[in-house]
Amino acid sequence: MDRRSFMLGTAVSALMLSAKGLAFAQEAQGVAPDLAQFPRNETLIIHNPEGVIRNPGWFNNWVVGAGSGISNGLHQLTTDTFWLIDPDAGIEGASENAIYNSLADGLWDYNDDFTEMTVKLKQGIYWSDGVEFTADDVVFTVEKHKATPGLSQNGAYNAQVETVEAVDPYTVHFTLKGPNSRFHTLFAVRWTGAWIMAKHHFEGVEDILSFPNDPPLSLGPYTLHSYDPNGTWYIWQRREDWERTALGMIAEPKPKFIIYRNNISPDNRLIEMRNGNLDMVHDLSPEATFSIIEQDPQIQGWFPGFPYAHPDPTLVMAIFNLQKPLFTDKRVRWALALMLDARAMSMASYRGAATLSAISVPPTGTHPRDYHAPLQEFLTNYEITAGGNTVKPYDPTIGMQIADMVRGQFPDAPTDEDAVRNAFGYGWWKQDLVTAEALLIEAGFSKNGNQWMMPDGQPFSFSVMVPTDGVVNRLGAIIAQTWAQNGIGAEVEAASDTWDRQRIGNYDVNISWAVETWGGHPDLSFFLDSYHSEYIQPLGTSQPDRNWMRWQDPRLDEIIEKIRASDFNDPKGIEYGHEFVKLHLEEMPNIPIMSYNVFSVQSNRFWTGWPNADNPYANPVTNWSNGRYIFTQISPVEGAV
Amino acid sequence: MHSYLWFFGKRVLQLFAVVFCGISATFLVTHLSPIDPVEQVLGRLSARSNLSPEAIAATRAALTEMYGTGQPMLQQYFNFWARLLRGDLGPSLLAFPTPAMDLVTRAMPWTLGLLVTSTLITFVVGNLLGALAGYNPDNRFFKAFGLIAMAVQPIPYYIVAFILLIVFGFLWPVLPISGGFAMDVRPAPTWQFAGSILAHSILPALSLVLVGFGGWFLGMRALVSNVVNDDYVTYAELAGVAPRTIVGAYVIRNALVPQLTALAMALGGVFSGTVITEQVFNYPGIGSLLIDAVNYGDYSLVLAVSTVSITAVAFSIFIIDMLHPLLDPRVRAE
Repeated sequence: MDRRSFMLGTAVSALMLSAKGLAFAQEAQGVAPDLAQFPRNETLIIHNPEGVIRNPGWFNNWVVGAGSGISNGLHQLTTDTFWLIDPDAGIEGASENAIYNSLADGLWDYNDDFTEMTVKLKQGIYWSDGVEFTADDVVFTVEKHKATPGLSQNGAYNAQVETVEAVDPYTVHFTLKGPNSRFHTLFAVRWTGAWIMAKHHFEGVEDILSFPNDPPLSLGPYTLHSYDPNGTWYIWQRREDWERTALGMIAEPKPKFIIYRNNISPDNRLIEMRNGNLDMVHDLSPEATFSIIEQDPQIQGWFPGFPYAHPDPTLVMAIFNLQKPLFTDKRVRWALALMLDARAMSMASYRGAATLSAISVPPTGTHPRDYHAPLQEFLTNYEITAGGNTVKPYDPTIGMQIADMVRGQFPDAPTDEDAVRNAFGYGWWKQDLVTAEALLIEAGFSKNGNQWMMPDGQPFSFSVMVPTDGVVNRLGAIIAQTWAQNGIGAEVEAASDTWDRQRIGNYDVNISWAVETWGGHPDLSFFLDSYHSEYIQPLGTSQPDRNWMRWQDPRLDEIIEKIRASDFNDPKGIEYGHEFVKLHLEEMPNIPIMSYNVFSVQSNRFWTGWPNADNPYANPVTNWSNGRYIFTQISPVEGAV
Repeated sequence: MHSYLWFFGKRVLQLFAVVFCGISATFLVTHLSPIDPVEQVLGRLSARSNLSPEAIAATRAALTEMYGTGQPMLQQYFNFWARLLRGDLGPSLLAFPTPAMDLVTRAMPWTLGLLVTSTLITFVVGNLLGALAGYNPDNRFFKAFGLIAMAVQPIPYYIVAFILLIVFGFLWPVLPISGGFAMDVRPAPTWQFAGSILAHSILPALSLVLVGFGGWFLGMRALVSNVVNDDYVTYAELAGVAPRTIVGAYVIRNALVPQLTALAMALGGVFSGTVITEQVFNYPGIGSLLIDAVNYGDYSLVLAVSTVSITAVAFSIFIIDMLHPLLDPRVRAE
């Protein structure tokens, strides 16, 4: 054997050994699909924003923290719950305010004091193994959870449910431990929820916490086809009997196969979509979106032109830590708000593609109808008095100004006033440095050169915590810079653990969101309920993932309690919401800035009929389970294979 | 022989001391981390749905019990060593109840395959060319190589990786840009699977080789530049020894000793993975696993990765220490 043969032989042997080792390590449970069986006119490929799924063969999504994928098709295609609420308008057939009756045959039915809830179930829904879905499954789910710490709703059911019973095969009755007008929302959350388990499938399982549920029994119109043992893709196949599922009763899900691909970096998403290997991308950066839409006319965003992005039902804001003495005076908080420049914030963070909001409700879904438009007059007349002067700080033309600023680069930016409001928001506060200065002086602050000093004589300095990258990082940088230019010792602090720190109040000012709404329904309980003072903890102790600012006010509690005592669909809920907005404005515990716009893009190369601003039937992000309704509305492009 | 055994015994003791201290320090650091895995899970749960304070408290208590994080740290430390000595690193908390070592075992072959191969290629090519460049300082070809190495060396890794991604994934899409192997290939000891692994590793490996090559090249060139002026090289040249023999048997061999130490460190380090490569090319491996583990406060998984990594680095250095006397007579004499 000569040297060359020896080297070649060694290399080949190493490669085969490596393949053998890797194959052994992957435990090869997934089945490799024959890609030829997935013609593109039958196959939808979706970007799942999850990272590597560490427990790829685990489909028991009822176990807390099992490391399985959730948004890999599992909760969109195989699970179901009583109701789903879309953050946008909903397709025809959805109930009032985009509430879909999914497993339920109608809306919830409470008794007068909200201590009991009855749910009628749809008939004719079947699990993928052919067994009918009935009230027994619901009862089993609740009781199993109550009895098993470590299951996702163990705490929720134990804290709220006294008893659950199947009145008949299609009726479930809950007796609650106390009045709770929002109990149904446990079964209506659009991202995850109280998914129902199959009694006949799980009742024989001895230890449910170690049961991987592979393959999962499906209550949705798709079943598992195959998956990557490395945890980066999942393929789902439409059931033959898709009509016997809640989604199938609305319309036929068009793709025969749906592939979810996760762990795709932003650059790779762009390349893969451009190369036709992705139909729906969860999000891109603003710049990547502008670039791909400019280069490929088949790719679309939410708005037909600039700013393209979908306004998410979360709201980015400057959150003050109200448990620190720095920010206890609301005049200081207002002064900091009036120092900011909305145009600069929009341009620096989203390159102008921001949807601004001056109030603590995101400008998306039905909220412009219920909150932003009705409160315009109030906002326009809103007055602040400082230094003997009264000013009206609200500027309803900010959106138009930004549209004019970006039109040079993006000629497709809207000109129509309504369209501008829709895309850029209804307005924001004017930058008013004179009033800001007067407010600080009234609060006992003084100026030493260009540095503001607090009443105790110390410099007014604090850090502005931001994530390490992304639009919110850029937003925080411009906010801190603007404050610094105006004499505040504000410094940006980029942190990789912002979630952990905001949860325990380890920050001064935090640029993040503290509001997440249903979007497609005016009720604000999704975030507002956890603003109640009963959740407030001392600094250093965890709170639920809302109310990062730890805002505590008896008037706020009163509003929350009124909402809790009213029906979810009671029109008074909007009135209470307006009360909240006005109280929030008065106190400014955080400065609402803009919707957390998401640059979700879709390709019309193989599939068309996506939701958009003109036809907002569904939220376009790919990880929320209500996105399932999109699959019934799209159709393959003729001739595309 | 007796002195070598004495040397060996001392090094073995050092090895165990290093491993013990390293693992203990990792345990301490992870458990002093402000990131609490229970709060991580609770945060994800409460971000998705409304949970009452009572529900949150009940879930917190259940998770603390399941994860064993409520025990005093000393108790956890003893439990950890007791488990480790049985080869059990406990369940991963981000993929509960899957054993942490299962996740490490699944990710490690990818990292080892990619990094060992690219490190060895980089080492061999960089040192060989560096040695030749040092021995032939006036050669135009090697001068050009030196310029390229110096030009590439300061470019941040992610820029090089991104350029490769754009060139071979977008402008001329001939190579896979994502994952460890193709979707339609089943993990098995087959040519198809091996070929797919190879194809998917080309871009990440190339990026690592391009960036890593310069260091070895420049280091070896500098070492050889010193060695070629030593008397024994001059003597060999005057004695008419063939240049090939001088470079291979005298120059490279003597200049290689410090490079071998660096190689041992580099090979030991591969057990920690390379986060950026794995993120840019969505390549499966230990680096992103470790990042996930840190972000989730998954003590067990961080300890599993760290234990493997610390042990690997310590053993690599131990082996090199043992080999040094055999490679370098000067060390043997000491």
